[in-house]
Amino acid sequence: MKSALTDACTLKLNNFEGPFDLLFFLIEKNKIDIYDIPIFEITEQYMEYLAAMQELDLEIASEFLVMAATLLHIKSCMLLPKHDEKDAEELDPREELILKLVTYKKYKEFSEILKDREAAWSKVHYKLPEIIPVIQQEEELEVSPVILRQCMMEVLNRSRERMSNDSRKMQRILDQERVSLRAKVREILGILAKGIKFCFSKVFSPLTRSRIEVATGFLALLEVVKMGRASVDQPVAFGDIYVTPEKPKKKRENRETEKESDLA
Amino acid sequence: MSILMDCETIIEAVLFASGDPVPLEKLAEIIEKDKKTTRGILANMQYKFEHSARGIMLRELDGLWQLCTKPELDIYIAKLGALRKKPGLTQAAYETLAIIAYNQPVTRAYIEQVRGVNSDSVIMTLMERNLIREAGRDDAPGRPKLYETTDEFLRVFGFSSLRELPPLEMNEIPEAVETLPTD
Repeated sequence: MKSALTDACTLKLNNFEGPFDLLFFLIEKNKIDIYDIPIFEITEQYMEYLAAMQELDLEIASEFLVMAATLLHIKSCMLLPKHDEKDAEELDPREELILKLVTYKKYKEFSEILKDREAAWSKVHYKLPEIIPVIQQEEELEVSPVILRQCMMEVLNRSRERMSNDSRKMQRILDQERVSLRAKVREILGILAKGIKFCFSKVFSPLTRSRIEVATGFLALLEVVKMGRASVDQPVAFGDIYVTPEKPKKKRENRETEKESDLA
Repeated sequence: MSILMDCETIIEAVLFASGDPVPLEKLAEIIEKDKKTTRGILANMQYKFEHSARGIMLRELDGLWQLCTKPELDIYIAKLGALRKKPGLTQAAYETLAIIAYNQPVTRAYIEQVRGVNSDSVIMTLMERNLIREAGRDDAPGRPKLYETTDEFLRVFGFSSLRELPPLEMNEIPEAVETLPTD
């Protein structure tokens, strides 16, 4: 094995992507079997490279130093005399490094394939997309200034309520809430049992309830509607939802709705 | 037969006008046929483009279809004037792409483990080139980002889907190591 590598390495130094790349270069240069690396020679040559890098005042990436340490560690492991049979049976200290090198080699080989394919397929050309105008009908939004003002006031009120009370804010942060869907369903059924028509946003008001409670409340409402115990009406989009109690349906119908919900 | 011809005509026009790859579903919707029939028509068209004196061909990219020029005509197209050539990728970028392609979705830590070097900037470059993208986060501690290849990756490297990647034979490694001669 030649050690007149220093000339070659000064030319190639910068081209190594990492310690594996450098090790590969050494393995290929010396025509070494990757599964049986002569660790002493390789370590020596590797160190020579690092020394050359230092001479050239190149900044040596820490990864190269880690590899140097690994190589030296393996080398010292192999130098140690084997005490008994148990030690002799121990795994080759090079194994881990070899595994890594072989894996790296596979990807490196594939990266060459990628390079070739890219060159071949760069000869293919595409056309820029045509700009095809699509006629879109714009919807006109009919909102009166009165409603706009009302909405704005509601938003302001809500945020004022939320921001005014610092202790409540803290409370909200501190409370780890546990809201169950079942509890909310029960709550809604409880109100419905009184036979009262009610407004969802009044019962589950964001002013008095936490966000998660309102959300769960809404899911519970959907459940109740699915059960056929209430009907809902929302006259305006994003407006209030009115809940009206419904008499529980007859058994046969119930079964049918159950089937439907199963399908859904 | 004439119906088939009509479908091919429509698809050709749509793909030409689109320029961008068009999903199979969209094409099926346009010609009002089911996906299987549409796929058959496309395969037929692809064959005809390939085997006749045409300057363009039909490419599939993971369920997307696109028209492009035949590679052997590159030299003539070049005579049109300056073709904008993207600067090539670095060796590091190819390596990183190779690792991502076979292990996606994959964390940066894994890539760095295989390559043995920090791969931050390479991943950034590949993201900028739209060859890879983020694919959610791993369940491992720290919830690291996962990366996967894009359709652009398939396009640039001429794969019609990830299934076309040549098999990477890794199973030989452990055996080879076990039969190591001891020093």
